[in-house]
Amino acid sequence: MNPFIEIITQPDNIAIVIMIIMVSFFMAWAFQQAFENDRRLAAGLPVEGENDNFVDTFKPLVRIELIIALVVMVGLTIWSIAIDAPLEEIANPTITPNPAKAPWYFLGLQELLVYFDPWLAGVVLPSLIVVGLLAIPYIDINPKGNGYYTFAERKYAIIIFSFGFFVLWLLLIVIGVFFRGPGWLWYWPWQEWDHARVVFEPTKDLTSVIGIDSRSIPGIIIGGIVVVSYLVGGMVAPYLYWKKNNPELLKQLGMVRYITITFLFVTMMSIPIKMILRLVFLVKYVWIIPWFGGINF
Amino acid sequence: MANENKNNSSYRVYIFVFFSLLLLALSFWVIWDDEFGLRPWKKYQGEYKALKHEQLDREYRKAVVEFQRSGGHKRLAELEARLEKAEAFFQSKENKEKFSQLTAEFDAVHQNVARNQKELQNARGQFLETEYYFTKTQKPEYKTKMDELQRQIDAISLRGSTLQKKEDALKSSLSALTAGTAGLRAEIAKMKSGLEEKLEKIANNDKVPVEIKQVHIKDIDKADRCQSCHIGIDGKRQVSRVQPFTRHPASFVYIDHHDPSKFGCTFCHRGQGRATTSVAKAHGKVKHFDEPMLDGDMTQTSCLNCHGDIKGLRGAEQIVNSTELIKKYGCYSCHKIPGYETVGDVGPVLTEVGTKVNYSWAVKWLLDPKKYFSTARMPKFFFTQDQAESIADYLFSMSGTTRHDVDYSGAEPDAKLVEQGKALWSQARCNLCHTTGGRGGNHIKVYAPDLSKVGSKVNKEWLFRWIKDPNAYFPGTKMPRFRFTDAEINSLVEYITSEYLDDEAEAKYAQPVEIKAASITKGKDLIQKYGCYGCHKLQGMEEMVQIAPSLKRQGVSFLRKDEMREKIGTELSSIGSKPLEMLDFGKLKKSIPNDRLSYLKQKLRDPRGYRLGLRMPDFRLSESEVNELSAVLYGFTDANVPVRFMVPSRQELDRMAGVTGYKFTGDFAKVIADVKCTNCHSIRGIGADYAPDLSIAGSKLQEGWIRNFLANPDVIRPLLQQMPKLGLSLGKPAAKITMPKFNLGKQNVEDTNKSDVDVVINFFQQELVTSDIPKEIPVITTMTLPDQINRGKMLYDNKGCRSCHQIGMDGGALGPNLSNVGNRLLPGYIFKHLENARKFKPDIVEPNYGFSERERIYLSNFLMTLKLNTK
Amino acid sequence: MKRLPEITDKVKKNLIWKSIFRRDYRNTIRDRAQAVFGNVFLHLHPVQVRESAVKLRFTWGMGGITFFAFIILVITGVVLMFYYHPSVDQAYTDIKDLEFQVPYGVILRNLHRWGAHFMVIVVMIHMFRVFMTGSYKAPRQFNWGIGVFLLVLTFLLSFTGYLTPWDQLGFWAITVGTNMGAATPFLGYQGPFSEFLHITPYNDIRFALLGGAQVGGNALLRSYIWHCVAIPLVSIILMFVHFWRVRKDGGISKPQK
Repeated sequence: MNPFIEIITQPDNIAIVIMIIMVSFFMAWAFQQAFENDRRLAAGLPVEGENDNFVDTFKPLVRIELIIALVVMVGLTIWSIAIDAPLEEIANPTITPNPAKAPWYFLGLQELLVYFDPWLAGVVLPSLIVVGLLAIPYIDINPKGNGYYTFAERKYAIIIFSFGFFVLWLLLIVIGVFFRGPGWLWYWPWQEWDHARVVFEPTKDLTSVIGIDSRSIPGIIIGGIVVVSYLVGGMVAPYLYWKKNNPELLKQLGMVRYITITFLFVTMMSIPIKMILRLVFLVKYVWIIPWFGGINF
Repeated sequence: MANENKNNSSYRVYIFVFFSLLLLALSFWVIWDDEFGLRPWKKYQGEYKALKHEQLDREYRKAVVEFQRSGGHKRLAELEARLEKAEAFFQSKENKEKFSQLTAEFDAVHQNVARNQKELQNARGQFLETEYYFTKTQKPEYKTKMDELQRQIDAISLRGSTLQKKEDALKSSLSALTAGTAGLRAEIAKMKSGLEEKLEKIANNDKVPVEIKQVHIKDIDKADRCQSCHIGIDGKRQVSRVQPFTRHPASFVYIDHHDPSKFGCTFCHRGQGRATTSVAKAHGKVKHFDEPMLDGDMTQTSCLNCHGDIKGLRGAEQIVNSTELIKKYGCYSCHKIPGYETVGDVGPVLTEVGTKVNYSWAVKWLLDPKKYFSTARMPKFFFTQDQAESIADYLFSMSGTTRHDVDYSGAEPDAKLVEQGKALWSQARCNLCHTTGGRGGNHIKVYAPDLSKVGSKVNKEWLFRWIKDPNAYFPGTKMPRFRFTDAEINSLVEYITSEYLDDEAEAKYAQPVEIKAASITKGKDLIQKYGCYGCHKLQGMEEMVQIAPSLKRQGVSFLRKDEMREKIGTELSSIGSKPLEMLDFGKLKKSIPNDRLSYLKQKLRDPRGYRLGLRMPDFRLSESEVNELSAVLYGFTDANVPVRFMVPSRQELDRMAGVTGYKFTGDFAKVIADVKCTNCHSIRGIGADYAPDLSIAGSKLQEGWIRNFLANPDVIRPLLQQMPKLGLSLGKPAAKITMPKFNLGKQNVEDTNKSDVDVVINFFQQELVTSDIPKEIPVITTMTLPDQINRGKMLYDNKGCRSCHQIGMDGGALGPNLSNVGNRLLPGYIFKHLENARKFKPDIVEPNYGFSERERIYLSNFLMTLKLNTK
Repeated sequence: MKRLPEITDKVKKNLIWKSIFRRDYRNTIRDRAQAVFGNVFLHLHPVQVRESAVKLRFTWGMGGITFFAFIILVITGVVLMFYYHPSVDQAYTDIKDLEFQVPYGVILRNLHRWGAHFMVIVVMIHMFRVFMTGSYKAPRQFNWGIGVFLLVLTFLLSFTGYLTPWDQLGFWAITVGTNMGAATPFLGYQGPFSEFLHITPYNDIRFALLGGAQVGGNALLRSYIWHCVAIPLVSIILMFVHFWRVRKDGGISKPQK
C-alpha cells in the first residue's frame, strides 16, 4: 500500500485528518467573516450582529442546540461504527516501538525536541504557552474588535496568534504525525519507512561555525552574548522604535505589559529561528552552559 | 420583537427529522451489529444444533424403522392390548371392592406392625438400662426385672412375626390383583425406552443454550473461547466434518491426553483465544497479534512447550523428525538452543587437516561443499576464491607450511590389493553409512561423508592412520574402529584411492608451495568472523602446533580460545515467541508476510537475504527441510507454562531424583568407544533408535547366537524394518538393514588380555539383563515335553501366528522370521514376550492374545525347537 | 384522527404530566420564558438571546459541542468503568473483552475514544473562534483564563486516558510524554539545577507523576484515577464557573465599539 495512505488511514490519524479539515474550514470561515466586516467598517456600515434583535431562547436557541447535538451524535456514531479504536500489543517495556510517539496533540512539543533540549521543549515552552494564553486579555489593550470578526482592526494580534496557533502548534502536530518516521527522521509521504536508515547530519554549535569550541570559555561567552543580546535586543528594539514613532502606544501599554509582550513574542520567535538554524544551517546549540546539569539554548 | 421566525424554522424541522431518523437507523445498525455482526458464533452454534438435530432425528427414524421391522410394534400393540384387558378386568366392580378391602386391611396390619416394632424397641431399651444397673449394683431386683423384660420382648417379637406374616400375605394377594397390569406396564416402558431416550436426546439438544463457551485456566488467566465456534471439537461423536463443527483429528492422542477443559486450545494451537468476533481475530491472523494460530502438523511444535522427551511421543512424530535436522545441521554450534548444550561438534576436527586432505580439494570444498557432493552438510559461506584460499592457508599452516596436493589418478594400483580391498569393503558394509556413487548411506540416522570422490581428497598415509584408529585423529568421531589387520587396511586404502577418484579434481599443488603469512592472518580473521570453530574443533591447539620459524618471524598467530566467541549466532531459546518488532525484515519488509513463521522460513531459505552484512551461511535446505526446521524453531518459546503441565525428560527426572544417567564402565566402555555400537543401537537410553534396543539383550539373546551374529551379521527381519513404522510416522524407508562386520574377536581389548567378544558377551549377560525376564520357564510335570511341543504347535497354527511370522518358507513377513528362533532367543524371553509383547517394545504391532501361562509354556517350548542347523 | 386532540388533552390533564411540567405551554411570552427558567438545564440560558447567538455563523456552536462531547464521554466512560480493572494483569484483556464479551462494548469504546479526539479538536477551534471575535476582551478576560485552564484539562484528560488500555500505543505515548517531565528544571532528575535539590529518578517530578521510576502498575492506577475522578471533577467545577461567567459577563459577546 502507498505509505501515505497507510499513515493517513491509521485509526488514530483519522482524527488528525478530521482536525485538518475542520480547522481549515473554520479558519476560512473566520477570515471570510472578518474581511466582510472589514468591508462594512470601511464603508461605515455596522458590523454583523451590531444591531441584533433579541429572540426567545425557547425555542430558537434550544432547537438549534438540539440539532447540533443530533448532528454531532450522528457524526460520532458513524465514526465509531466505521473505524475501530486502535488496540496494539500488550504493553511491553522491553520493546520500544520506533518511532515512539506521544499522543497526537502533544506531537508539536515532541517535534520541538529536535530543536530544543527537553527542559525547554517539554517544560518551559509549554508553560509559556499557557502563560501566554492566559495573558492575552491583559496585554491586548486594543479596544476594537470586541465581539465581532475583524482583521483590519487587530492585524497584529491576529497575525501573531494565527502564527502561533496554525504554524507553531497545528503544523508541527501535522509534521509530527505524518512526516516523522523511525528515528524521528523526516519522511515524505511517498517514502517508505526504513528502520535501518541512518542519516548522518554533522550538527555543530553556533560558535563552532566560526571555529571556537562551544564548550570552551570563549565559546560559552560568545554564545551567551548572542542569546542575551537576542533577548535584550528583541525586547529593547521595539521600545526604541515606538518611542520615536508612537510614544502614545508605549504609554498606554505601561512597562509591565510591554515587557511581558516583548518577552513572550521574542520567546515565540525563537522557535522558528531555532528551526531555521537547525534545518538550514545544521546548528544545534547557540549557547551551551555545561554547568548546573547542562543548560543549552 | 421576540417572535419566532416561522420561515426560518421550517427547514430546521426537516434537518431535525432527517438526523433523528438517521440516528435511529444507526442505532438499529449498532444493535444488529452487536447481536449478529460481531457474534458469528451464534450462527455456528445454531447450525451445529441443526446438524446434530438432523443426526439424532435420522437415528431416531432409523430406530423406529428397525423397531417396526423387527416386529416390535406388533409386540407392543399386543402388550398394550393385554394391558388394556388387564386393566378392564381390574376395573370390574368385584375386583375393585376386593382391592379396596384388601388395601384397608393391609393398612391396618401395617400400622400394627409399625406399632409393634416401636414397642419392641422400647422394651429392648428398658432391658439394656436394667442390665446396666444390674451389672453396676448387682441387686437381685434388677435381675428379676430383666427376666420380666426378656419375657415381654419374646412375646412382642412373636406377635411381630405373626403380624409380619399377615402383612406379607396381604401384600402378595394385593399384588396378585394388580400384577398383570404392573408387569405389563414395565414391559411396555422397557420396549419404548430406547426410542424415548432418543427423542429425549433430540429435545435436550434443542434446549442447549446458544452462548459463549469458555475455558478459563486460572493460574495463567488464559481464557479460550474457541469452542464457541468449534462446538463439536471434543464431542464424542462426529456431527459434521465441516469446519468449525468437526471433531479434533486424532483425538485419542491429543484430546484424550489433554482435557480441553484443563488445557484450553491456545496452549497448543496459539491464536487469540479470547476473540469471538471474527475468524481472523480468533485465529490471531491480524495486526498487533503476534501468535497466529497453528494448524495441522505445525501444531506439534507446541509439544516442545511441556514435553522434555519428544522422542517416541505419540502424535509428535513430525516434530521429532524436525529436531533430527537440528542435530544433522548442527544449528546449536552457532546458536544457543536449550537442550543441545551437550551435543558434540557436528564437523570434523581441523587442527591437522593439512595432513589429511589436498589443498585444492580444501579450497573447492570451502567454495561450495554441495557442489562436491550433494548430501554435504556443510553450508555455503559465499567465500571468494581469495577468501577460501586464505582459510585453507590458515588451516594448512596449523600442521605445515605449504600448500600441497597428492594425485593418485595416474598411479597404477596393485590389482590384487584392490581386489582384496573391495571384498573387505563390502564385507565390512562401509556403504551402510557411507554413500558411494549415489548408493548406500543413511543421512537421516547416521551421517557419514559421501566417499565417491574421496581418493582425490585424502592421502594414503592419513587414510591408513584413520582406518586404523579413528579416535586418534578425531576423538569422538562416529566412525568405528574395525578390527582390521594392517594388511587389510592397506588393501582397503589401495581400493579406495584407486576406485573413488574425482575426474574433475586438479592437483595444482603437486609441487608444494610455501604459504604466505599475510594470507594466514586474513584466514584467521575470516575464521573468527564466520565462527568456523562452532562446528569444527580448532581451539586449544595453538600451543601444540609447530609454527614454522619463518612464519613466526612474520608475526603469524593462531586463534586463541579467548578469541573465539561462545556462540556466534543469535540465541534461539525463545525464537518462537520473539516479538515481531525484534525481527528485522530489512529489505523484504514489503515482499513477505510480516509474521514470525514467514520470517524463519525466509531466513532458512536465504539466510543473508534480509540485508547486507549478515553472516549466516546457506545450507541449501530443501523446502520440506525449511518447513520442518522452522516448525521446530517455532516451538522454542518462553511460553508461560504452569508447572503442572510440564512433563520433564528422563534426564531431568534423573537429575531431580539425584540419579546420574547410565554410563558405560569397565572394558565394555573401551569396546564401545571403538566400535560405537550406540551409533545405531540404544542401550539404557544412550544412543540412536536406528537398530534394535539392546538394553535387555542379555535376557533375550542366546550367547551362541550373539557370537555367531557378531562374527557374521545377517538380516533378522527383512521386511518389517524396511517399512515405515505404522502410525503417524513419516520416516523414510530405511536401506536394507544389516550390521557391519566389525571383526570382533580378532583383538584383545586395550590394556587387557580379554577378547573383545568375550567382553561384549560378558557385559550383555551381566548388565543388559532384567529381573522381569526369568532365566528359565516354569516346568509342567504332568505332561511330557513332546506333548507340550505338540500343543504349542497347535496353538501356533490355530492363533494365526503364521500370517505374520515365517518358519522356513511358510508364513507372512511382517513379523520376524522364526525359523531359527530356538537358536536366537532365550526361552524366558519368549515366555514373557508372549504375555505382553508391548512390555519390552512399546511400538510393536504384535497383538496381545491373552495366552494363559500353560499356553505360553507350550508355545515357548515349541518355538525353542525351531533351529536351523549351523555349521 | 379526531381523537388525537382528545388523547393529548387527556395526557396533559394527567396528574403525572402536571407534576412534571407544572403548566400547559401555550406559546406566550410568559410560557416561553417559563420554559427556560423553569428548567434546570435550560436556565443556563437567558430567557432571550441576541439573534447572533442563534446563528451558526457567529459561534459555530463550538462551546456547546465541546460540552456535549464531554457529556458523551462521561456517559460512555462511566459504563466502561464497569468493565475495567486498572491493573497491569487485567487492563489489557479487559479492553480486549470489551470487543469479545461485552454487549455493545465495541461501540462504547469507539465512541469514547473518538469522542475524546473530537473534543480536543473542538475545544481548540472554540478557542480560535473566541480569539477571532475578540471575545476575550473586557469584560470577559477572566473567563478566557478559565477557558485556557479547561483547554489544558481537556488535553490532560485525553492524555491520562491514553494509558488505560495498557497497550504499546498508550504505554509508549505516556512514556514519551512523561519523560519530558524528567527534564523539568529543578524538579526533574534530567533537568538543569536538579543536582542542587539532590533530585534522582526516584524522587523527581516524573516519579510523582508515575508513582515509580518508569511506567508500571502504579502509573496505570494513577492515570486511571486522574482520568476518571480528579480531572473530571476539576473540569466540571471550572465548567460551572465558565458557563456562569458567560451569563454574568453578558452572554454571547456582541460587537462593542
